[in-house]
Amino acid sequence: MNPGYELPLDEAGYSFGFLDEYAKREVRRTILKAISIPGYQTPYASREMPMGRGFGTGGLQVTLSLIGEGDTLKVIDQGADDSVNAVNLRHFVELTCPGVDTTERTAEATLIQSRHRIPETPLTEQQVLVLQVPYPDPLVVVEPSEARRKVMHGEGDYSRLLTKLYEDIVQFDEITISHRYPTRINGHYVIDPSPIPRYDVPQLHQNRALVLLGAGREKKIYAVPPYTRAEPLAFDDVPFRTEDFGDEHGQRRACKRCGATDSFLDELIDDDGHKHWQCSDSDYCNSRLTAQSATSAQGATAQEVNA
Amino acid sequence: MNETTAMAARHHAASSVWLAPRQQTAFRQLMTAFSYPGRVLPLAGDGESASMLVVATLIDGACSLADPNGELAGDDLRRMGTRTGSVETADFVLASGMRVVDAAPRLGSLENPEQGATIVLAVAGLGTGATLSLQGPGIDGEQLLHVSGVDPAWWTQRAEWNTHFPLGVDFILVSQHAVAALPRTTRITLKGAH
Repeated sequence: MNPGYELPLDEAGYSFGFLDEYAKREVRRTILKAISIPGYQTPYASREMPMGRGFGTGGLQVTLSLIGEGDTLKVIDQGADDSVNAVNLRHFVELTCPGVDTTERTAEATLIQSRHRIPETPLTEQQVLVLQVPYPDPLVVVEPSEARRKVMHGEGDYSRLLTKLYEDIVQFDEITISHRYPTRINGHYVIDPSPIPRYDVPQLHQNRALVLLGAGREKKIYAVPPYTRAEPLAFDDVPFRTEDFGDEHGQRRACKRCGATDSFLDELIDDDGHKHWQCSDSDYCNSRLTAQSATSAQGATAQEVNA
Repeated sequence: MNETTAMAARHHAASSVWLAPRQQTAFRQLMTAFSYPGRVLPLAGDGESASMLVVATLIDGACSLADPNGELAGDDLRRMGTRTGSVETADFVLASGMRVVDAAPRLGSLENPEQGATIVLAVAGLGTGATLSLQGPGIDGEQLLHVSGVDPAWWTQRAEWNTHFPLGVDFILVSQHAVAALPRTTRITLKGAH
């Protein structure tokens, strides 16, 4: 190769969305099959990305295969738009996808890539949610062989997984899964819904938006189509329950910033060692604060007029 | 517009199906069609063919295509670099609504149901014609789909191929400009005899 030769600028850059068209086409074919077989972990040839596997390469490959000019992308990490993973992935898309807008507002986004949370604001039919998945197979805790797991999934045989949940109840009086709660899609496949808290699992049920889950390291893509049943595994006499955020008096804790009592809360410990709670979804919290300051400003103007 | 520029415009539209940004927008329509089965979505613009756009967006050298009615030109096949196969073995089957294929397409296996074929079915019209009532994932209650130019034997065949979920075939219905999808999970009831 001639070291003095410089590629013309339009050939030296990356193609739109970093991935080449063959890679995108393969991911696209996989997505259509994943939607057609709800909850089935569809294999694909996960490409090398310029970041380590485990940093959201699965979700990113799905996003890059979907995104085009005119899209508005929101990237969330544990509910927040401003933590490291979200900032870096958003920056990568801004670099490689000219013409794509990014936003922090859930309502403005057409495409939402998320790590470990589903936004509090209900999604619409015009939106697509892409979740980053570290471990796609819920059966891996009871069966080490993937070949055998594939047969179990095909047959809808989840008896060993249910036994594991039963053993939890016997030992601890409680199913001890806090996140990645196994969820049955359309009455057949059980999925690992990515490390979303239990609180978010009911949002998958009959959601209006398409939910795509991408696992880069494990090379799997699966989907929860809109208006589809998503039932967390449970027993008739031990129903599924979510985090309740009750304090010692049974009172629902509120967000320290915005006062919300209807959101998923993060527990924080301040410098004095006191615990307090705050919305995990930063956009939800911020829009509540904006709305509150708008109403209080209105209230102030009304008072001035009255005086 | 004189005749030469009109021809050039047509030529441009025909070749646009090979462009990456065009395939991205086409894929998004296809993905929406699969997410909400039975909804008729606009796909191809003036001078474009919806079936050509679907084929160019999804197929390349990594998959095989059966074209039992010989609808694709040799140049287009070479451009995709796809392997041609028989209906029984191909990943994609390009078929006509008026002519039921005489062989069963691939249904996949219990372990690998994604290997079930995708059938791209050319129909005379979407939004007009016989009424299908659809139920299943992606449908809020019931969705009605009007489609013309499809031999009802297709629906009998489809029901037979899709009996044993997760095995089955997925349909992409294309008219001249529009598209609708019927993934294997969609249950069809024919309404009235047209």
